[in-house]
Amino acid sequence: MLTPKERLKTVLSGERADRTPCICPGGMMNMITEELMKTVQIYLPQAHTDPKMMAGLARAVYDQGCFENYGVPFCMTIEAEEMGAQVDLGSSIYEPHVTGYVIDTVSGWERLPQIRPEHGRAGVVLEAIRILKQEGTDVPIVGNLTGPVSTASSLMEPVVFYKELRKKNADAHAFLQFVTDQLIRFGKAQIEAGADVIALSDPSATGEILGPKFFEEFTVRYVNQIVDAMKEAGAQTIVHICGHMNPVYREVDEIHSDALSFDSVVPMKEARASLGERTLMGNVSTYTLEFGDPEKVETLTENCIKNGSDIIAPACGLGMRSPLANIRAVLQAVRKEEDDA
Amino acid sequence: MSAKEELLKRMSDGVVDMEEEDVAEAAQEFIDAGYPALEGIMEGLIDGMNRTSVLFEEEEYFVTDVLLCSDAMYAGLNVLKPYLPEEDPETKKKAVIGVVEGDTHDIGKNLVKIMMETAGFEMIDLGRDVPLQKFVDTAKETHADLVCLSTLMTTTMSGMKTVIDLLKEAGIRDQVKVMVGGGPVSKNYADKIGADGYSQNAVEAVRLAKDLLCMA
Repeated sequence: MLTPKERLKTVLSGERADRTPCICPGGMMNMITEELMKTVQIYLPQAHTDPKMMAGLARAVYDQGCFENYGVPFCMTIEAEEMGAQVDLGSSIYEPHVTGYVIDTVSGWERLPQIRPEHGRAGVVLEAIRILKQEGTDVPIVGNLTGPVSTASSLMEPVVFYKELRKKNADAHAFLQFVTDQLIRFGKAQIEAGADVIALSDPSATGEILGPKFFEEFTVRYVNQIVDAMKEAGAQTIVHICGHMNPVYREVDEIHSDALSFDSVVPMKEARASLGERTLMGNVSTYTLEFGDPEKVETLTENCIKNGSDIIAPACGLGMRSPLANIRAVLQAVRKEEDDA
Repeated sequence: MSAKEELLKRMSDGVVDMEEEDVAEAAQEFIDAGYPALEGIMEGLIDGMNRTSVLFEEEEYFVTDVLLCSDAMYAGLNVLKPYLPEEDPETKKKAVIGVVEGDTHDIGKNLVKIMMETAGFEMIDLGRDVPLQKFVDTAKETHADLVCLSTLMTTTMSGMKTVIDLLKEAGIRDQVKVMVGGGPVSKNYADKIGADGYSQNAVEAVRLAKDLLCMA
């Protein structure tokens, strides 16, 4: 039998493994819940700023039988914070979120500080990865990046940002190039620290918001720069795009990542039919994970596999009140493949 | 086409084509020529926004486009509004809108606000990361007809249920209709927490609001 790390690596390489991997990357795809925190007595928001606690919670996700990976961090505000945004670290039930912007127009990007990966909470993430790396080699470590559009629209008012994609097109590109370069730097540092896989989520860059033209011009272009740089640095990559894919399937297929992940509004069957041989991840409904029961979760998980998912994962971040029994049911359903084999 | 019709068309087209300055100019010419402001708003600006809504539903236009169209509409509105006859504020339906506590993603909320304003609702915008009790307090103070809750994050969704519970506690649940929306929210979730309705996008939100308040 493969180790979880070998299994994920095999599937991300486009090959068949002994069974379907079951992961939750972290970052936007939150996998920390109240019950998990209580069980291991490590709590948010403290774990956002303490590498030992961050590593401890990430490890608990695996140890408690939830998902077969370690993933850090547990939010999508670190990149923006390092570039000057004000962040409220939230509480045990609210994720960190941006409360103060740095610039008021895309043209102001030259004023932004560069990310120093060993500094601040970026440094906490790197240290947490190093701790996890020391603890074993069987479990894949997933480092996370916030996508370029989501990071950029955390540094200034999103409404103005979206309008300036058209109105100040050249400056918008210069701004996104700067942000992309910072994300590449942080991503590479995570790989050097020991991350096996880099997962990138760009929820503010959906096809529904941008439309196919801007999705290709801004999302695909800069996401690919990051994906290519991560591959070159030796990591495999997963890209999660939120929202309906209908307007942008052709453009999504241009993303170079080893796997593509979607949220629950995208039927897995439809994604499979539209994206041919691509490795697909997802998309167990987080609504069912929070409000359903274990039997329902198992059925959904089995359907996901049947409908073409190569890597089982939640469709989005988990609600903080999702019961552990429901979360464990995902992996239990996936493991049934072992009995069948 | 008469001079008036031409100006109305210029305003409507200007909104659809995101030509902020031309819409404002056309609106000024409309007023200078002595035509009624209300007609300019309804048959020029709002007509343009309605055409924009159709393009949005047909997936010709996306959120970034609608934002620029609405800028053009507001540019015209700023010119025409001062010339509107005094209107009875009681006749407008009021809606409190905001993004629930813990979340700062407000692009969807802003879009719903724009579309509902266009449709004639008075929107009381509480912004984002709004403390849950504030929805209730504001609804009470302003005698709102609707409370519109939005979130893009799974982790903050449960705040919507809390608002509904708080409305009950305050004894005004039966005086307001609650509508919810946002990325992770679904019709199922809306039913489960006892909201009156769910809409998937901003254009649907307007229809839902009108349905809930039994407006034509």
